[in-house]
Amino acid sequence: MQITNDYNRRRFRMGLWFTAPAIIVLLAVLAYPIIASWVLSFLRVRFAGQGLSFQFYGFKNYTDMLSNQLFREALARSIYFTFVEVVVVVFLALIVALMLNHPLGRHAFFRVVLLVPWALAPVANAVLWKWIYNANYGILNQILVGVGLIEKNIVWLGSPLLALNMILLADIWKAVPFIALLLLAGLQNIPSYLYKAARLDGANTWQQFQHVTLPGLKTTLVISIVLQSIWALKVFDLIYVLTKGSPADSTVLLNYLSWRETFSNLDVGYGAAIANVLFVMMFLLALIYIRALRPRQTGERAG
Amino acid sequence: MNTNRNLTHVSRRGFLKMAGAGAAGVAFSNLLAACAPKSAGPVVLKVLVPAAPDPAPPGVAKFSEEAFAKWKTDNNVEVVYEAPPWPQLHDKMAANFASGQYVHDVIYNCGWVPEFADYLVDFVKDLPKELVDDLPPSSFSTVTWDGKKLGVVFTLSLLTLFYNKEHLEKAGIKEPPKNWDELKGMAKQLTGGGQYGWVLNYGAPEGIGGVASYWMCFLQQAGGKVYDANGMPAFNNEAGVDSLQVMIDLMESTDPGSISYVGINDATNVFSSGQASMMMNWPFMWVPANDPATSKVVGKVGSALLPAGPAGTASIDGTDAYTIAKLSPNPDKARQLIEFYLDKEVQKRQVLDTGWLPIRLSVLNDPEVQAAAPNAAVVLEQAKNPYDSFITPDYNAVTTAIGVEIQKALAGSQSAAETIQNAYDQVTEIVKKRG
Repeated sequence: MQITNDYNRRRFRMGLWFTAPAIIVLLAVLAYPIIASWVLSFLRVRFAGQGLSFQFYGFKNYTDMLSNQLFREALARSIYFTFVEVVVVVFLALIVALMLNHPLGRHAFFRVVLLVPWALAPVANAVLWKWIYNANYGILNQILVGVGLIEKNIVWLGSPLLALNMILLADIWKAVPFIALLLLAGLQNIPSYLYKAARLDGANTWQQFQHVTLPGLKTTLVISIVLQSIWALKVFDLIYVLTKGSPADSTVLLNYLSWRETFSNLDVGYGAAIANVLFVMMFLLALIYIRALRPRQTGERAG
Repeated sequence: MNTNRNLTHVSRRGFLKMAGAGAAGVAFSNLLAACAPKSAGPVVLKVLVPAAPDPAPPGVAKFSEEAFAKWKTDNNVEVVYEAPPWPQLHDKMAANFASGQYVHDVIYNCGWVPEFADYLVDFVKDLPKELVDDLPPSSFSTVTWDGKKLGVVFTLSLLTLFYNKEHLEKAGIKEPPKNWDELKGMAKQLTGGGQYGWVLNYGAPEGIGGVASYWMCFLQQAGGKVYDANGMPAFNNEAGVDSLQVMIDLMESTDPGSISYVGINDATNVFSSGQASMMMNWPFMWVPANDPATSKVVGKVGSALLPAGPAGTASIDGTDAYTIAKLSPNPDKARQLIEFYLDKEVQKRQVLDTGWLPIRLSVLNDPEVQAAAPNAAVVLEQAKNPYDSFITPDYNAVTTAIGVEIQKALAGSQSAAETIQNAYDQVTEIVKKRG
């Protein structure tokens, strides 16, 4: 802001006064924990006496982290989890959004039903899936055995790759509705005359989707991908309730590992270092998100 | 219009002045209130315990409510409970202690006493002698650190064997297994037709009730220990390997879902539905397993000592204890509250109404208690044998390291010997880091 005269200077000061409470709250709830997390990651923190004891540790937490096989595995699993979830969620959500945008699917009932999984509390959702996946009396086994797809019950959370992918499935189920509604809003912003013009030009349904729908959804898709990436990276509740990282740490993702080191093993500095890796990944995604949301300047339009 | 504007106009400067004056007024009145002499109201004790059905005191669990109300009146005490589900307790305690602030007076502990020893009061020496003499001396082993007794166990909670008497009878088995060979043989015999000989929750590696702690039972039955006299790992030996091999051998007769069950209730449900014939469990199980609302095996449950290994039978301790925070402003009242929790009549109602056994020997031997909880005698007998839980300040890290390796062995991806070697190496690193 350029202050050119006394009026503007007073106006700026007054503005600061009025925004100060919000700025203070933001600093307290956002800036302080972020800074504290970075500071903690350079310390060895011990539970001793009253409160904690601190010892400067340099980059030891980070070097330990990078040389730790479990961290590297958790990072790889987090990337796999995020990539697959984003691809599947956005694909399914797009199909759902297209169906809801169709005249037959525009009834409010469908949107309300669609919102149910998203509206469920995360832990309630996790408990629900715990029952669904139960090896003995879970409904998934009952259905699959009932229709003859499998001969005997499967322990869905009992082997490493299967357990990870079943958690992924549960998270996808919860994530699709919100992204579908986001994409639906994007679809409804595409002017109908563009479709009319495309049809006049002889475009078939696929060509309309390719040349009108997808370009019109570009910004919404970027926002969906970024938001879903952030949410997938920070998955915790499902792991905590369903597997606790088991079997044999095969469902330990970064967020869960950070929690385990911080609260279970009380290695606060090391846990903070892991959390900071997640922070950097999410911060980069947030930058993309902000860029996608930025209003387009004149001349920036696609030609 | 102009008149109205003059009447209602408040300049920015004026607004800020008024706001400042208002804030100063509020601050001043708060200061006066803080300086005013306090009325002699009841002492407030803040207590952190698990929610029922985990072991909870009167006021959280439904027992001894009248006695509790009377105690509070007689002692001019108000008790404020925070009773989250059990899995949240450790995190809450860690966050509270890390803050360096007073949060609770009395705190439930379960295997975390060494971990939080610096924050707890050495109060057992101040308990009445008559009370301490009525507690099993071994019950203090898991709440003692650096020679200080920092807690008092309030329920005798050792793992024992539970079995389905009907299943055993149908299979022509007259008595529950007494040793490892019988255990493996009977489990195999009892498996088939959608029924399993054995079930347990192997899904969570860490903590009391995690897969590592179950292995510690077998380890002691084999004559092994987790640590030597110097506190260094001492399980990379025959006892360590043999004890794990029993668990591996049992897997062919174990409910395959066991590897995915993360809590004891998951396994208990399988047993209570009649789908499994044997398991080891805590004494609390007696009540839900004989409750028609939650069980299909009412009246069919038997309890016995854990099958013996080469060194005899052995178990682990659930270590449910009450402790007092160092920052408590009322440590004496807090101690008196714990004494109330350990009162004979309260202990008796604890077992009769909730199923959690008492810790007081006189109550355990009470005929009424033994009639209502037939497993009490078994637990008492089990307590005559080793039941070390090998609690250390880094218990969670140690049991996570061991438990994850054991899970690999139970899944068949590595041998017992490889598992014990890997676990030993990791625990050695953890102990060295303890410093």
